[in-house]
Amino acid sequence: MEFEFRFDIVWNNLSLLLEGVQTTIILSLLTMVLGTIIGLFVAIIRLRVKRLYAIPFIIYVEVFRGTPGLIQIVWIYYCLPIVTGFQLGELTSLVIAMALNVGAYLSEVFRAGIQGVDKGHIEAAAALGFQPGQITRRVVVPQAAYRMIPAIGNVFVSAIKLSSLCSVLGMAELMYQGQIIIANFFRPIEVFTVVAFIYLIMAYSTSLFMMYLEWKFAWVRRSDNSFWEKFKYISRAAFSLKPQGDI
Amino acid sequence: MSSLAKDSENKLAVEITDLHKSFGSLEVLKGINLCVRPGEVICMLGASGSGKSTLLRCINQLTIQDRGEILIYGDPIGFEQSADGKKKKARTGILAKQRSHIGFVFQQFNLWPHRTVLGNITDALIVVKKMTKGQAEKIALERLEEVGLTDWKDEYPSTLSGGQQQRVAIARMLAMEPDVMLFDEPTSALDPERVGEVIDVMRALAQKGHTMILATHELNFARDTADRAIFIDQGVIVEEGPAKDFFANPKSEKLRSFLKRMGNG
Repeated sequence: MEFEFRFDIVWNNLSLLLEGVQTTIILSLLTMVLGTIIGLFVAIIRLRVKRLYAIPFIIYVEVFRGTPGLIQIVWIYYCLPIVTGFQLGELTSLVIAMALNVGAYLSEVFRAGIQGVDKGHIEAAAALGFQPGQITRRVVVPQAAYRMIPAIGNVFVSAIKLSSLCSVLGMAELMYQGQIIIANFFRPIEVFTVVAFIYLIMAYSTSLFMMYLEWKFAWVRRSDNSFWEKFKYISRAAFSLKPQGDI
Repeated sequence: MSSLAKDSENKLAVEITDLHKSFGSLEVLKGINLCVRPGEVICMLGASGSGKSTLLRCINQLTIQDRGEILIYGDPIGFEQSADGKKKKARTGILAKQRSHIGFVFQQFNLWPHRTVLGNITDALIVVKKMTKGQAEKIALERLEEVGLTDWKDEYPSTLSGGQQQRVAIARMLAMEPDVMLFDEPTSALDPERVGEVIDVMRALAQKGHTMILATHELNFARDTADRAIFIDQGVIVEEGPAKDFFANPKSEKLRSFLKRMGNG
């Protein structure tokens, strides 16, 4: 007997999946924002303080990079209330867990970006009479931020996929909704295919947005800043031709 | 010239006494003494590793000396007077202010890649001198005119040649109207055919009466333009004198062999 694809089951339940998409987007966006704050904080601490005081932050980064995200999420969801006696809402504790994971990766991205700024550019500013804070704001941050855009994009895309693990704890996001349809209709292949495709769309939109940022902040002179130019650049990037903003 | 220079016309522009600096166990400067009068142009010669760059970097405290004192128009750089009149290490704000009176041109130009040519020059005027954008741009354009790069004002540094980048770096320094200008091998990173354009700019500056200290390997420039030349070897000043005698009649054997290696007949 030949296998017959039944995508109609997925189409008939598409509204369920779209509800899941909403939750996934909320989870991911909150994770990205909180993760960025955590990452920046940890990166700056690690660059500023003496090595001894940085040890807790190094341990944090290594633990959250070196253990499975699923276990982190489960652990923070179930064990944190037991250990601290403090009960958080479902969404809150999941976002915190994922943000800690994302923050660990981002802190390394930020640290590399900040350290990657040419020392000569910093010295040039110091020689002109800039104070340390002014050097950070005027020279280090703008250069580091631009160079970090692709790496931040990587972490953000992973964050979207990471959110699928929340299904294990009954968060009604995209993966969870997909599993409900599977449980009702016993059609995992069709459902997973469509779910994967929806994740792809979300991840790719994030990539395009990061490419747009790269284009917008590129250190090149442009006479033409029109919508058409942006469109040309992003569609070129979309078909993986060499990005033009790069130097 | 800035007010600082005017108030102190009879003071020395730079007065260095007994300057020592070590990196680990390597002693790079072994007691340098040097006086520079206002308007004087001094060329420092010496092999790589002789301590020229370190000396220049100490003058604006990019490198901090272990021992010794550097006075810029009588003001000890890197230090301030505390309330009880004692000398103590300068706070960052004070040091930044002191540095803003000293121009520094780097071997590697060190233009900021994320700012246009104009932005590279106006930033310091806006941030350090608290000018408005309009005032800063007016000054920046005048300085760009001086180095012949007005047409490039909206370009980013990566599209400029090395010689052009160095001229922008000089314009950036000039815009701050420093009392003393330091040049750390400004032409060493350039293609040979680009050296001339930077030398021309520096020669014009020297003729305008700026106080300049240069580390350079351009012997012709040193001979024609410098008031005084200094030869540094292994962290000490081996020989110094008026530029003309210095090249015509080198006294020490070390300088003679150095000039010979550099192709000075």
